[in-house]
Amino acid sequence: MPGFSSPQTRRTVGARLAVVAATAILPLALSSCTDNAGANASGTTDGPIQVTSTDAECKVSAAEAPSGNLTFAVKNDGAEVTEFYVLAEDGLRIVAEVENIGPGITRNLVLTAPAGKYITACKPGMKGDGIRADFTVKDSGKQATVDADLQKLVDTGVSQYAAYVKDQTEQLVAGTKEFATAYAAGDAAKAKSLYAATRMHWERIEPVAESFGDLDPKLDAREADLEPGQKWTGWHRAEKDLFPPAGYKALTAAERGALAKQLVADTAELSTRTRTVELSADKLGNGAKELLDEVARGKVTGEEEIWSHTDLWDFQANVDGARIAFENLKPVLQQKDAALAKDLDAKFSALQAELKKHAKGDGFAYYNELGKDEVQKLSSLVDALGEPLSKLTAAVVL
Amino acid sequence: MTANFLIGLREGLEATLIVVLLMAYLTKSGRRALLPRLWAGVGIAVAVSVGFGALLTFGPRGLTFEAQEAIGGGLSIIAVGLVTWMVFWMARTARTLGSELRSRVDGVADGAAWGLVLVAALAVGREGLETALFLWAAAQASGESGTPLFGALVGLAVAAGLGYLLHRGVLKVNLSRFFTWTGVALVVIAGGVLAYGVHDLQEAGILPGLHSLAFDVSAAVPPSSWYGTLLKGTLNFSPATTWLEAAACVLYTIPVMFFYLRANFRPPLRRAEAPAATAAVAS
Repeated sequence: MPGFSSPQTRRTVGARLAVVAATAILPLALSSCTDNAGANASGTTDGPIQVTSTDAECKVSAAEAPSGNLTFAVKNDGAEVTEFYVLAEDGLRIVAEVENIGPGITRNLVLTAPAGKYITACKPGMKGDGIRADFTVKDSGKQATVDADLQKLVDTGVSQYAAYVKDQTEQLVAGTKEFATAYAAGDAAKAKSLYAATRMHWERIEPVAESFGDLDPKLDAREADLEPGQKWTGWHRAEKDLFPPAGYKALTAAERGALAKQLVADTAELSTRTRTVELSADKLGNGAKELLDEVARGKVTGEEEIWSHTDLWDFQANVDGARIAFENLKPVLQQKDAALAKDLDAKFSALQAELKKHAKGDGFAYYNELGKDEVQKLSSLVDALGEPLSKLTAAVVL
Repeated sequence: MTANFLIGLREGLEATLIVVLLMAYLTKSGRRALLPRLWAGVGIAVAVSVGFGALLTFGPRGLTFEAQEAIGGGLSIIAVGLVTWMVFWMARTARTLGSELRSRVDGVADGAAWGLVLVAALAVGREGLETALFLWAAAQASGESGTPLFGALVGLAVAAGLGYLLHRGVLKVNLSRFFTWTGVALVVIAGGVLAYGVHDLQEAGILPGLHSLAFDVSAAVPPSSWYGTLLKGTLNFSPATTWLEAAACVLYTIPVMFFYLRANFRPPLRRAEAPAATAAVAS
C-alpha cells in the first residue's frame, strides 16, 4: 500500500499516461495530412465540387471527377443539421465524411480518391441512409512516373505500334479498293477471294478503328446488330450479298456500286483519322485485351462471318494485332514482370500452334467445317491467354 | 439557428461534463488550489483545438477523414482510461479524507496533478477539434449571415451555463453521497465516451461492424431534436448504436461500476484492504 499511493508512483503514472497519449496522437497527426485543394489548385482542375444539402435534396454539382485530390464544398441550405458522406461502391464503407454541418454553413471535405465508383450521400437530420447519388472518379493519368530508361522503352514500343497501325491501314485502303472494284463490277469470284484476306487488315487494328464511334458501325456492322433505322453499309453488307443465304434477293448493280463506293470512302476516312490518333502504352495493353475479347465474343462463336464462315481469318488477325501490341511492350514488361512476359509468350505460341492446324493454303478452313471439340480447344486456349493478357496494362503502366 | 445552437450545446456538454464533475470534486474535498491545473488542461485543449482547426481550415494542408476520426476516437478512449483512473483515485482519497494525515492527502493530490491536467485536456480536446472546425466554418459563413456562428456560440455558452449549474447543484449535495454519485456519474459518462470513441474508430475503418446495429431508435429519438442532443451531449447516447459500441459500453460500465461501488461501500474498518483491490482493477 505505501508504494502504491506514494506521490512518486502517482507522478510516474501521470507522466506515463501523458507519454502514451502523445505517442499515440503525434504520428497520426503528422502522417495523415492531405492537401487542402482550396489553397493548392494543382490538385483539382476546376475548384471544389459544390454540394447543396437541403432537407429533401442533395445536389452535387458534378457526377464525376478526375482522380487525385477532391474537394467537396458542402453547403447546408436546409433547416436541419446535415452530414455529407462519400461511400465506397458497396454503399457501406465510409471513404470520407463531414459531420455537423449546421444550417447556413459550408464545410469542406477533402479526400484523395483513386479512380473508381463511389456514392455520395447527404444526411439531413443525421439519420438514415441519406440522399444518395452515384459518383465516378476517372483515372486522371497521374501515375507514378517511370524512370527514364523504362520510359524510353515504352516510347519505342508505342511508336513501333503506331507504325504497325499505319502499315495496316495502308494495306487496308489498297485491299479495299481492289475488293470494291471487283465487287462493283460483278466479279463475285474475285471479290469472294479478296473478302477475308482484306478484312484481316481491319481486324488487326480493330481497337484503334473502333475508337471512331461513327466509322466502326458504317464499316463493320453486322445485320444482327443494326439499330432500327440504321442504314446497313460496310463489309458485312457485301458479305451477305456475296455469300447469299437461301431466299436472299441480291443487290442491283447500282446498289452494289454505291455500297462499294461508300466502303472505299469510309476506309479512306479511317486511314486519315488513324494518323492523328494518340497512342500510349495503356492503349496498347488494353487494345490487346480487347482484341482477344473480340475473338472470344464473335470469332470463337462463328457469329462474325455468318454467311462467309471466314471467322478464322478474323480470328488470326485479332491474335496478330494483340500479339504485335504485346511484342511492342515486351521490353518494358520483361523489366517489370518477366514472369508475365514469359507466360504470355507461351500462351500466344500455344494458341498460334492450334490455329495453324486449321490453315489451308493462304487461308483457313471455314468455320462451319470445324468440329465441336476443335472449337472447344481454340476457345479454351483463348481463355488461357486472356487471363494473363488482362494483367499486361497494369504491369506495364503502373 | 436552432440547429446550430443544438450543435454547440451538444459539443459543449460533451466537453464540459467530466471537467465540471472533477471541479466539483476538488472543491468539495477542499482542494480548490488544484483548480488552476484543471483549467490549465482545459485551456491547453481549447488553444490546441482552435489553433489546429484554424490551421486545417486556412492552411495548405487538411486532415484526412480517417485521421480526424482516429484522433477523435483515440482521444476518447484515452480519456476513458484517465477518467477511470481519476474515479478510483477519488474514491480512495475520499475515504481517507479527514481520517488520514492532511499532508499525506495533499501529497497524493499533488502527485495526481499532471493526471488532472491531462484528464481535463483530453475531455475537452476529444471534442475540441471537431467543434473548432465547425466554428471556423461558421465564422467563414458569417460573411453571409452571422446567425450560424451566433447560434453555435450561444449553444456553447448554454452548455457552460448548464455545467456551472450542475457544479453548483452537486456542491449542495450531502458530502458522503456526493463522492459516490460523482463517481457513478463519471463512470456512466465514461462508458458513453468509450462507445463514442469506438464508433469513431468504426467510421475510420479501423474497427469493423459499422453497419451491425444493436438498435436504431432514431425515429423515436431524432439526433437533431433537443432531447436527442441532450442525451448525446450528456451520456453520449447514440440512437443508432452498433453492437460493438453497445458491447464496449456494457463491458466497461458494469464491471467498473461494480468495483467502484464495492470500493466505496466497503465498511471503513476494512479500509486497509481497499487500495489493494482497486490496484488490481486499475492494472
